[in-house]
Amino acid sequence: MHQILTIAWREITRLRKRFGGGASPTAVVLLLAVLGLSAYTLRDTVSLGSGLYRVGVSGDVPVIQDSRFAVVEVDRAEGVALLDRSAIDVFIEDSRVMFREDDKSQFAVRALKQYLELKELERIGNTYTFEQAFPLRVGINYLGSPTGQALIAPDTQLGELEPDETIVPSLTAPPAPFTQVIVALLYILPITFISIFFTSSFMDEKINRRLTILLSAPITPLQIILGKMLPYAVFALTTTALIAYLTKGNIPLALAIFAPTIMFIFAIYLMVPLFYRTFKDTTFIAMLVTTLTTAYLVFPAMFTNTSELAYISPLTLAVKMYREEPFGWREYLFPSLPMAAIFGFAMFAGTRMLNEEFLMGYRSISRKISDAIYLMLAHSRPYFSVPLWSLLVIPAVYMTQVVFLAFASNLPLGLILGATLLASAFVEEVVKSIGITVLVEHKVVTSWRSILGLSFLSALGFLVGEKLLLLVSISFVSQTQVSGALFGAGIFLLVPLVAHFVFTSIVSLLRTQARFPYWLALGIGTAAHFFYNVYVMRGM
Amino acid sequence: MIPFLAVIKKELGSVLRDRTIIISILIQLFIASFSSALLLGMLSLYDADTIMRFSGSGIKIGMVGPSENMLHQFLVQRGLQVTPFGTLEDAEIALFDNQVSAIFVVPEKESSTTDIRLYLPNSDAVSALIRMVVQEPLKQYENYLRAQQGIDVRYTDLKGKPATSFEFVYSVLLPMLMFFPAFVAGSMVIDSITEEVENNTFQTLLSAPLTVNGAVNAKIVAAMALAFAQCVAWLSLLQMNGVEIQNTTLIMILSICVAGTASTLAALGASMLKDRERSQFVYSLVLLTSVSLGTILKVSPIETLSRLAIGDQYTGLWHVVAFAIVLSILWFLLNRVSRRLLV
Repeated sequence: MHQILTIAWREITRLRKRFGGGASPTAVVLLLAVLGLSAYTLRDTVSLGSGLYRVGVSGDVPVIQDSRFAVVEVDRAEGVALLDRSAIDVFIEDSRVMFREDDKSQFAVRALKQYLELKELERIGNTYTFEQAFPLRVGINYLGSPTGQALIAPDTQLGELEPDETIVPSLTAPPAPFTQVIVALLYILPITFISIFFTSSFMDEKINRRLTILLSAPITPLQIILGKMLPYAVFALTTTALIAYLTKGNIPLALAIFAPTIMFIFAIYLMVPLFYRTFKDTTFIAMLVTTLTTAYLVFPAMFTNTSELAYISPLTLAVKMYREEPFGWREYLFPSLPMAAIFGFAMFAGTRMLNEEFLMGYRSISRKISDAIYLMLAHSRPYFSVPLWSLLVIPAVYMTQVVFLAFASNLPLGLILGATLLASAFVEEVVKSIGITVLVEHKVVTSWRSILGLSFLSALGFLVGEKLLLLVSISFVSQTQVSGALFGAGIFLLVPLVAHFVFTSIVSLLRTQARFPYWLALGIGTAAHFFYNVYVMRGM
Repeated sequence: MIPFLAVIKKELGSVLRDRTIIISILIQLFIASFSSALLLGMLSLYDADTIMRFSGSGIKIGMVGPSENMLHQFLVQRGLQVTPFGTLEDAEIALFDNQVSAIFVVPEKESSTTDIRLYLPNSDAVSALIRMVVQEPLKQYENYLRAQQGIDVRYTDLKGKPATSFEFVYSVLLPMLMFFPAFVAGSMVIDSITEEVENNTFQTLLSAPLTVNGAVNAKIVAAMALAFAQCVAWLSLLQMNGVEIQNTTLIMILSICVAGTASTLAALGASMLKDRERSQFVYSLVLLTSVSLGTILKVSPIETLSRLAIGDQYTGLWHVVAFAIVLSILWFLLNRVSRRLLV
């Protein structure tokens, strides 16, 4: 612990030196200016379509203050002429709205309708009493679902039930959690910025070779990583608390929600300095990572309350927090556990890779990855490390497949399932065979028999992990057919085990014994796996 | 001129060799497909028109109350199937029998405040969909009740066409595809300059008959060329997908100007700070600031781009020239400052 604190203190000193010069005050001022400005702009321009429509007004028309509309005041004759020339999209004269039949004008009318509706509500709300202005009350009751078990037996008197909630139609907020997701995203932005500094710190020390000196000191690589991470983690947690305070969220709850996310983002950014070779690499890898993680976090959260799978993302929990809707510890663990697991895995990988030879060598990315895997697997006996690897990468596989699903949803409807299955088969085959291939390349394993044995263990490890995850998701969410489709769940455990074993053996043997290029071996294994999955799905 | 071209060639060569450009293109492809997937998902869950188009026929509403009441009519106008029931008990049986998916109860007589009841299945997904599609008829009913009391609400008869996709394509997708390459170009320039500084190779570069300005400018031109190529690709891909885009030449010039501005800004930062960590940080911050400032001051390149693409009659060459002027001022500044790289 003492060592970790020492490293952490050293890190703070380094940062202070770097930003202590002339750039520091400017940077801070800029940061504040940006935050203030973005908050200010976000407040009234959350809507998309900024500046798309031109509207002419004449007479008694509500003031239009929406970034989508550019408004000109004209008299009637000119307004009609402009509308005819397509120079404006809509012309409003008092309570009369004139438009054309073409698409653009019609789009503008719809956008205007939404805006004017709100303005009119404001007006009548101010002129009349509340009862007069909003004469309709809708009492809503939620009954036992027709497909699931009935919460209320069909013989209860519905009329005697008190409404679960009462709404005024024109005053109900839209159910889309748009604003809350954007607020939740506010937490992610600083975390990403902070983790970029964490990355830079490693790169800096790598360039001036201080890391080499550190590594020869009597401290473990884990202590170095944790020590360097500590100040940034504290900073990230402080920012989270601060944002929660400013947005009137629940501070302890926000910390609990975002702590696993912070760990996850840090874990991923730890990989960047370990793998990069040139500065451009870092920029592009960091960009890729940022987009993928943001997508992974935002996409599910948009479907809060409409799909249980939304709980994949911790942002859903934050959205729930802002909507003041309760959630249980199961909903909390569902997104948090995989993230924590990935953090643990990254810590292990990081400690194995943090050695001078690996850090300083300039090799191709694929070479670097295979070296990294070798370093991780060589930690213990192959018969133990290979299945363990297959088991431990499951959360990562699961996350990749979710991202693939988002990708695939752009395809024509008939292709979505096929493409997802193919991509899943590909990822699974990579994960199961890569360890064996690397071990053979480093001559740790040589004989046919041990390759087959390892293939079996790898398949077993993967299957155990997969079924564990499936079990967990069945208990968490009801839409298991989705997880089922993702993982190609079979009915008997023996059949998928044999299948996994066969595919892994195909890839490993083709690569190591028949000397096929890895991509080709992988392609053949993936194809076999894909057809097996399709066959299983047909049978179900 | 020849060393200048050689530096450009070297920059482009290294990008192609490292395959980093592939990552960049993948990112853009991902963002584009991801955001349209998001839009599609949002529309099919949160947009009443889309819901009606895809699953409208599956939604049947049970109605208990006076025959042919106004709410009944508004629901039918929305395209929903409405089945009248004599008593709530009958409707309840139908609900648990899966014949209707929701029940409305409307009182016999409308009074100053009318209370109606809505019974929904206890499934988040289904009840959310139903609430989305009955929202509009309920509002119409509310307006009808207001009219009964002599309260006139204006602009209630507007219809139009759902604009979300249109707004998304022209104000999000197109600007993102056109300006993301610009953002990447800036980052690339910083990496390239600071790497030369860290490795002390700038001096070597200058032993060729090339000034500091020449070397830095070559890096900027290389980054701009890359951005240009990507913009051409995205623009033609969008057009092939049936997205109508006006003023393509002006859009290309604008995109190049923005890419040039980002790269020049980046080079300016790198010349002053000289290390990657701070330069990238300050660059991202400055970019964020200018975007927010631009939005507030209504000189946003994003808005100009959207307007050019939809063929707005008040947007044209002069708007693009304004951005070119910004670029030339920055470029002038850079050529004053880049000398610092040698110190």
